[in-house]
Amino acid sequence: MDFGSFLSAPEIKIKIVTYRDIFQNKAMIEDRFGEDYRASSALIKLDPADLKQLGIKKGDTVIVKNSFGKIVVRAEESGYEAPHRGTAYMPNSPWSNSLVSDETGGKGVPRFKDITATVTTAKGEKVTELEF
Amino acid sequence: MEKDYYVCTGCGLLCDDIEVELEKNAVNKVYTACRVGVAHMKEGSRDSAFLVDGKPADEAAAIKEAALILKNAKNPLVFGLGTSTNEAQKLAIELAKKLSATLDDTSSFCLGPVVEALLQEKFKTCTLDDIRHKADVAIFWGADPSDSHPRHLSKFSYFPRGQEKQRGWEEERTAICVDIRKSHTAKICGNYFFQVPQGGDAEFIEALIAGLSGKIPKTSYNYPPKKLLELANILKGAKFGTIFVGLGLLYSLEDLGPLVRLLETLNEKAKGSFHLVPMVGHYNMRGFNENLFAETGYVNSVKFEEGAVKHGPEYSVVEALKAKAVDAALIIGSDPLSSLPRSIAKNLLEIPIITVDPCETLTSRKAKVAIRSGVSGVESGGSATRMDGVEVSFKPIVETNRPSDEEVLKKLMEAL
Amino acid sequence: MTNAMEIYQMLPKTNCKKCGKTSCMAFAVALMARELTADDCPPLIEESKYKENYEKISGLFKTSEGATETGLIVHEDLCFGCGNCVVACPVNVANDPYGVGSGKAPSKTEKLILIIEDGIVKAQNVGECRRFGKNKILCNGCIVTCPVEAIEFV
Repeated sequence: MDFGSFLSAPEIKIKIVTYRDIFQNKAMIEDRFGEDYRASSALIKLDPADLKQLGIKKGDTVIVKNSFGKIVVRAEESGYEAPHRGTAYMPNSPWSNSLVSDETGGKGVPRFKDITATVTTAKGEKVTELEF
Repeated sequence: MEKDYYVCTGCGLLCDDIEVELEKNAVNKVYTACRVGVAHMKEGSRDSAFLVDGKPADEAAAIKEAALILKNAKNPLVFGLGTSTNEAQKLAIELAKKLSATLDDTSSFCLGPVVEALLQEKFKTCTLDDIRHKADVAIFWGADPSDSHPRHLSKFSYFPRGQEKQRGWEEERTAICVDIRKSHTAKICGNYFFQVPQGGDAEFIEALIAGLSGKIPKTSYNYPPKKLLELANILKGAKFGTIFVGLGLLYSLEDLGPLVRLLETLNEKAKGSFHLVPMVGHYNMRGFNENLFAETGYVNSVKFEEGAVKHGPEYSVVEALKAKAVDAALIIGSDPLSSLPRSIAKNLLEIPIITVDPCETLTSRKAKVAIRSGVSGVESGGSATRMDGVEVSFKPIVETNRPSDEEVLKKLMEAL
Repeated sequence: MTNAMEIYQMLPKTNCKKCGKTSCMAFAVALMARELTADDCPPLIEESKYKENYEKISGLFKTSEGATETGLIVHEDLCFGCGNCVVACPVNVANDPYGVGSGKAPSKTEKLILIIEDGIVKAQNVGECRRFGKNKILCNGCIVTCPVEAIEFV
């Protein structure tokens, strides 16, 4: 029996590491409001086991949120050989920056590469639009 | 035959050997540059635009409005300039002085501390050309040049032949990567990829220092001592070593102390000498740091006040915005609404913004005055400082009717 | 990359022999060996339900121009244009030691095997490649230096 169907959508807690990607950088130079930039930026790379726990397939959208913001991005498999459950990877972008803490200890340096958030399925909701 | 080469201003590497074919004053074909460089050069030519309150305006009206905003501000912020020429940066420093402004660039939350330490001679450094000619060991630490500076390994740090490196990379060079994920650069480094847990760099450095000093290298995350000792041995044998410091390393250290100690230990224990080079991203961020340092003794985060200069993290773009200490912003070639945490950048929306940028950006969309400038290094020339401190001059590749950021700053100065 | 089994899975699997081979599996092997192409399978071209697979298979075996003889394939969509292969290729180094061999722009483009054009590696003069000709060796200079496996020999 599938007990999962009686529970609310599973939510997992993750640490997000951000990184730079050359194709994303290229897409930004070409058109930072374009589809290519969105497709190569608004995504989160998870361990396959985490995808499974969330009950989603790669390519599905997920809600990633914490006390600083909430975004909807596409979930992908990381492709890294070593398992990394609980750690996810995102290209550095306005989407990842929506989740970065404003706590800087007065040093002027936000923790861009060290984000804690929760992930749940977005049930088909579209990727967050870039706007202020 | 001498060929006509251009400089690519796509990143801090400033490749100076780019061949370009033009067609109707647009870049048609590019040789030798990487994908990012090609995009940078090809996406240049667009129409000029001056917008006031989102509506098209002529140049004079836009400059006038921008000057008015700056004049009326008590503490304006001048920010950006990582993709401006040395000449434009020097003008911006003058402008900030005149306005008694807070002046900062992206280096305050990027590699500024490392460049500052270099300029204060806390580390030994060298040029990328030295590295090509002599280096036998290169460490990419928290850096992924394959993605951020694609030609780094092929032009300087790993694959090319040099004066004292005639036999090729397999025999004469070792590339090492220390990172929290298996990046594209880590992949090239093969067995010399050392994966550390997030935030584990400081401990890794201490363990490496122990290993270099003949002690057993211990970490709380049980990094195999054998592997650490293997690394220590490679470094000990180096005749000319370089550590390329990326943001991944800098962000995981509380301060530069561990890195300073590692360099000292290496220079004491290794056969040859060890150097440090920051993996500066924007094409002239190092230039901004050096120009401001020459003028004030600080590399970023300054506030000018009646001839005096104040410095400290409270004058960084992040803290100034967080504390709502600034009441207008002149943003040149940067998009803080994209690149800063949303939780901090949103404070920009409460003050009038002037943007000078070749592209429409999230920030320019919210600007009171948006000035569309030419692409620096593609549509205008000048000079810039490479990531290793070498000055590079360049000429424009295509002609444009769009003003360079240098011209915009000049006109703003006059209007003030 | 792909093996014959994966190719086989995309074929009609009817063993119709129209390609001249005894079975679809044999056809897959012939594809891998570059002996035949996707166009040699009539059902794959003619029947609309195979359209997607036909395109996939054709895409897999798309070779860079003139590179077929040594089996050198450039996956253009993966390439960054970093130039690692250009600088590491021993033939390039031998023919242009002070240009590409030293990490710089080519000074004699016509003698090189690999160059970067519009940010993507382009293979030319592949007959000069060390994996080709009478004294061929299994040189892998361009493969092991690539961060994204954009070059392969089949």
